[in-house]
Amino acid sequence: MSDGKVTLTINGHDVEAEENRLLIDVAEELGVYVPRFCYHPGMKSVAVCRMCLVKVEGSRKLLPACATPVTDGMVVDTVDEEAVDAQEGMLEFLLINHPLDCPICDRAGECPLQDQTYKHGPGSSRYIEPKRTYEKALEISDLVVLDRERCVLCWRCVRFSEEIAGDAFIQLIDRGAGTQVLTFKDDPFDSYFSGNTIQICPVGALLSKPYRFVSRPWDLTSAPSVCSYCAVGCPLTNEARAEKVVRCQALPNENVNDFWVCDKGRFGYHYVSSEERLASPLVRTDADEFEATSWGRALDVVTGRLRTARRIGIIAGAHLTTEDAYAVSKLAKKTLRTSDVDSRLQDAGAPYERAAALSGVAGSTATLNDLESARTIVWVGPDPKEVLPVLYLRLRKSVLEEGAKLIVVSPRRISLDAIATHVIRCDVGGEAEAVDGLTWGFDTAVAGDVGDPLVVCWGPSSPGRDEGPIVDAVVALARNKNAKLLVCPPHAGSQGMIDMGVHPSLDPGYTPSDSRGKDTRGILQAAAAGELDILLLIGADPVADFPDGGLVARAFGSGVFTVAVELFPTESVAHADVVFPSAAYAEREGTFTNLERRIQKLEPLTAPPGSASEPWRICSRIAHGLGDDWGWAGFNDVWTEIRATVPTHAHVDLTWAGQESRPLSLHYESPFQPDPTHGRSVSAGPGAGYPKGHRSGAPFHTGQNWPLSWELRGFEARQRPGIIPSRPPEPPAGDDPVSPAPAPGAPAGDDAALRLIPRTDTPAGGDASLRSGTPLSSAFASEASPSSAKGWSRTGGEDGDSPEVKAGKSGVPERSGESSPAATWHSVEDEFPSFSEGRRSFVLYTGRLLYDEGAMVSKTVALKSLARRPFVELNEEDAKELGLSEGDEALVGGNGVRATLEVRLGDIARGAVFIPYDQPGWRANSIIRGVNPVVEVRHP
Amino acid sequence: MAEEVRVVTKRMREHTEDSWTLQRVLDTGGYDGARKAVVEMAPEELGGEVKSSGLRGRGGAGFPTGVKWSFVPADVSPKYVVVNHDEGEPGTFKDRELGERDPHQLLEGMIIAARAVGANKAFIYCRGEFALGSRRLDQAIRDAYGAGFLGEGIFGSDFDFDIVLHRGAGAYICGEESALLDSLEGFRGQPRLRPPFPAVKGLYGQPTVINNTETLSTLPHLILNGSEWFRQWGTEKSPGTKIFSVSGHVNRPANYEVPLGTSLADLLELAGGMQNGKEPKAIIPGGASAPLLTSTDVALDFESLQEAGSMLGSGGVVFMDETTCMVRNTLVTTEFFEHESCGKCTPCREGTWWAVKVLERIEHGDGRQEDMDLLLDICNGMDGRSFCPLGDAASWALRSGVKTFRDEFEQHVAEGSCPFGGGERVHVGARVGATGLGEAGITSQPAAGIDADSEPEAAQP
Repeated sequence: MSDGKVTLTINGHDVEAEENRLLIDVAEELGVYVPRFCYHPGMKSVAVCRMCLVKVEGSRKLLPACATPVTDGMVVDTVDEEAVDAQEGMLEFLLINHPLDCPICDRAGECPLQDQTYKHGPGSSRYIEPKRTYEKALEISDLVVLDRERCVLCWRCVRFSEEIAGDAFIQLIDRGAGTQVLTFKDDPFDSYFSGNTIQICPVGALLSKPYRFVSRPWDLTSAPSVCSYCAVGCPLTNEARAEKVVRCQALPNENVNDFWVCDKGRFGYHYVSSEERLASPLVRTDADEFEATSWGRALDVVTGRLRTARRIGIIAGAHLTTEDAYAVSKLAKKTLRTSDVDSRLQDAGAPYERAAALSGVAGSTATLNDLESARTIVWVGPDPKEVLPVLYLRLRKSVLEEGAKLIVVSPRRISLDAIATHVIRCDVGGEAEAVDGLTWGFDTAVAGDVGDPLVVCWGPSSPGRDEGPIVDAVVALARNKNAKLLVCPPHAGSQGMIDMGVHPSLDPGYTPSDSRGKDTRGILQAAAAGELDILLLIGADPVADFPDGGLVARAFGSGVFTVAVELFPTESVAHADVVFPSAAYAEREGTFTNLERRIQKLEPLTAPPGSASEPWRICSRIAHGLGDDWGWAGFNDVWTEIRATVPTHAHVDLTWAGQESRPLSLHYESPFQPDPTHGRSVSAGPGAGYPKGHRSGAPFHTGQNWPLSWELRGFEARQRPGIIPSRPPEPPAGDDPVSPAPAPGAPAGDDAALRLIPRTDTPAGGDASLRSGTPLSSAFASEASPSSAKGWSRTGGEDGDSPEVKAGKSGVPERSGESSPAATWHSVEDEFPSFSEGRRSFVLYTGRLLYDEGAMVSKTVALKSLARRPFVELNEEDAKELGLSEGDEALVGGNGVRATLEVRLGDIARGAVFIPYDQPGWRANSIIRGVNPVVEVRHP
Repeated sequence: MAEEVRVVTKRMREHTEDSWTLQRVLDTGGYDGARKAVVEMAPEELGGEVKSSGLRGRGGAGFPTGVKWSFVPADVSPKYVVVNHDEGEPGTFKDRELGERDPHQLLEGMIIAARAVGANKAFIYCRGEFALGSRRLDQAIRDAYGAGFLGEGIFGSDFDFDIVLHRGAGAYICGEESALLDSLEGFRGQPRLRPPFPAVKGLYGQPTVINNTETLSTLPHLILNGSEWFRQWGTEKSPGTKIFSVSGHVNRPANYEVPLGTSLADLLELAGGMQNGKEPKAIIPGGASAPLLTSTDVALDFESLQEAGSMLGSGGVVFMDETTCMVRNTLVTTEFFEHESCGKCTPCREGTWWAVKVLERIEHGDGRQEDMDLLLDICNGMDGRSFCPLGDAASWALRSGVKTFRDEFEQHVAEGSCPFGGGERVHVGARVGATGLGEAGITSQPAAGIDADSEPEAAQP
């Protein structure tokens, strides 16, 4: 057929399918499950287990359905006598060397091999010889246990490691019947993605160390959820036994995570059931101790303070849900009538609002799927493998499978360098100039590869530094090349915060606030100066996260009255006067908005400890205490209001596409129904339906218990695509004061100066344009913005700029008391080298590693030990001049703080050092002072 | 009296003392075929000539060489020619002798093949154990470069051609062409999923022609003399001559080149007949994978052997007399396949492992009546269901052993011991050599002993 469709017959049913699709997938969508072990829809077929052999008319041999593309007129019989004989024979082969230790195997009850055996296998074995044996239960990493006897050599783990993760720590060794999956000697399975191999293992050969012997699958209750760590927002199922989350697995969503999740997301659930969780409201007594109290009393204390407070600052954490964000925004801007509200801590220097200059969206205009159809991807940001691991997988797939060209702009070597077409190694802060080079084609070798479609990715990298010039350059590139922009904020709730207006200059739906409030730094500076009456920390821990440890200390040192809503007694909570316990992501209904602005739903699984509650509810009760009754009783009320109030979210319908609140489909018997909205086209055959699953009831029903493995769950889960809210209307075309647009052919002259000095001549615009009066803002104000949203903002810019913050000529605020960015750069450029005392100043480039000392990870037993000790990474030449080599100790100082760190040599721009932001034992924010910090390094 | 027809083996048989040297090769018409192919003939003509000659691959599958070449797309470059010199089929030792004694003839054939398909680079994948052969090939390549037969603008033409010699690491599976390619690329030697076939996407993802050593060694003569000349021997569908490696209980085990279609009885006669005047009880006609024959009344060509229920295969012919225990023979052959199974697919990996266990039990008197049917079931589980032909081959050898000599198997079970006085239980798989035999009381001595690093005895029949 000419339209790329073919018609074939499977077990007597005519099916239409796109050509080149695999028979096994087409059959599955028809409701015909062909048994398989090695096939996995997320990876290339290898056809080694031979379980999926089916009869195809005209073929002499049986064909593996997993490696046979459908063709027009194909006649397939999956239950042909010969095919069934082959399938049963294969099962017998697989079982001869498979130990019958199901009673002590974690996989029993959800094991494809077990399920198939119940369905097809004989009751006893014809194999009477001794089975192949290996040493059992090898711990091949801190998270994964390997039992080679159970392995059926399907290669899934090996293929995943090579093909998907790109770190082949697990491999096949030996040959024939002696073939084993194994790690290399002395080389553990040290991958950020190792847990996926456990989930895709079709037997109990790869086991989760934290989950081992913890539960039987039929004793688990589960609920769909979304990872609470990074901004990719991988869908998950949380599974609990006896009201305690004991396991977490990836839910496939081909739009987001394919089938994968990183180990932080997979194993990072322990914190939910940590003994250290806050369980009741606390108030500080006169004796300076916390006292557990009732919600009523705690709320009274807070509302009492708020009633008289004039100067209020609110900092929200970026691990909160979209509803929490809306509640914080509403509490601040409507009830308390302040715009001094922000959610940016580690990303304090990231002006997301400037991304709106491109399309009115302070966030991504690209989706993750756009990466795969891109011809070129430009990456300007941190190492995605450390910060947004599954985004790294998507980028890797786009480059290696889909052939996109990748241009990486980074001051230091990151994981993407290995697959990049071009790596532009710039100085710290030189990213903007490098991106301009792409925009205007200065670097012809690279610019030639900037193709269309182009996706430009930016994420804030070094905490604390001013990302403004970089954002402007990235936006200019995207505008100039008609590209899509992928904004990559760090955390699960980051985008929701921006969308809902937890931002000093944006109201919900990217509507510019009428007045510009203080950002996180401004709020802390106000506190430090004694100019704040009350500080609300909602899921925020500035002590750990804000990239200026000294400022945070001064802020709390001022004795500002502080209210904290938190999961744990963090160091910031220790400064609080009133504390409310917060519910964690597995304990609540809610949504996260990921970095492509996709909204995905969380379902509650366990009960929160004590009287802990959702932050939105706490905000609502504070407002109620102040006489502003929001009328919210539950999640749905919040969503209804968000839809009514926030223009971008007006059409988001959570009941659409399987997003309604319901238990995960495998827990009740639902006949399979192909999803007409699913991207692939297969018309359902008559009577298509899966056999019923055994997990609906505890006991097995022999012969009726397949297919039930993860593949099926995954398949159903793929019908939960999430929703990306529509953009607000486009700003009027033509007049465009927002774009920082250097004239073409005017590459700002002096190259040497370009390398380090930020562009102080950035055309006026940027955030200044968002304040008022520009075409962009007026478009929202007059046409799109509902009055309720607009009504939130205080009118009249009585404190548009706080005394501490005055706009520099670049539009980048200069902070009094802090060195200006320009000065910092000049000092780097001009005052080096000064080796007189064997020490030297370096530009500090920091960034998070995947396993760090974050509040949630550090309360997660399985991951705590994986966090590396802090280190300092230096360019080899710089290290040589300082007399330092790999493994030495170096003295690092800044902001009056010193630390001894291990030296690592790395591919990093000269004159810069990389120090991980938050590793156990020492926090890098203690040596950060101001934006664009400088540190000294010397031999101890 | 049956006679050999020496085409490919002519030089090595007539000049046993120096047939591998460039001087001797040049004195005996060497490189004339290659020169003609490069200087006088267009690539299409070469392909046409080979196609009309009906030359079929000598490695085992018997696929028409000209047709194989025609699958190579013209408009993709680079293209490669790869020589499958990984001769590992038990009972077969012809390519080894060709490599050791007439390496230039192979290089000449490679030039012709490369010219025909438009490749400028070729690889010889040499079996790891071929120590002498790889040295001779290496020297021949150096000499050919020196003489201007390889390198830039060979024979004064504008055709550039380079050859790389690569030694394998000792795995039978690497004789399977796609596993060979993986091994050549530096990966684990395991067969690839097909399609795409190597002719379209082979070495390093480029179009690749993979031919057997004997096939390529035939080309210089074919090109020099034409397809009509070639067709004077053999049958309509199996034209030309073919080298048969004869071993087992014969008086003169060696490589014999005869026209295809020659009868098995004539080949036996050429090899001096059975030792001690005995009769052959079982014959492997085409390497260990080929099902057993019990009669010599069959013509040695692709069609006739297929009709007889076996196959021509690689031309490794093993004669066994009545002193041979067929259970032990089946065990030894199956152990070979178990040892050489790459482990990639379930049926071959587990099926050969299981079959060896069962065969060991029968041979050592612990067999059960149901074991013969079990073995046939295992064969059914492997045959046609394995990833590559290795599993198929294992099942053919095993099935033919059980089916053809079922009475012997049953005798083992009934008597609870080996009626041939089978020796102690040994696992021979690890040291199975060129024939895969040698444990069944057979005094098989192939012409070229498997102690490969020494100069073999001249194998003049």
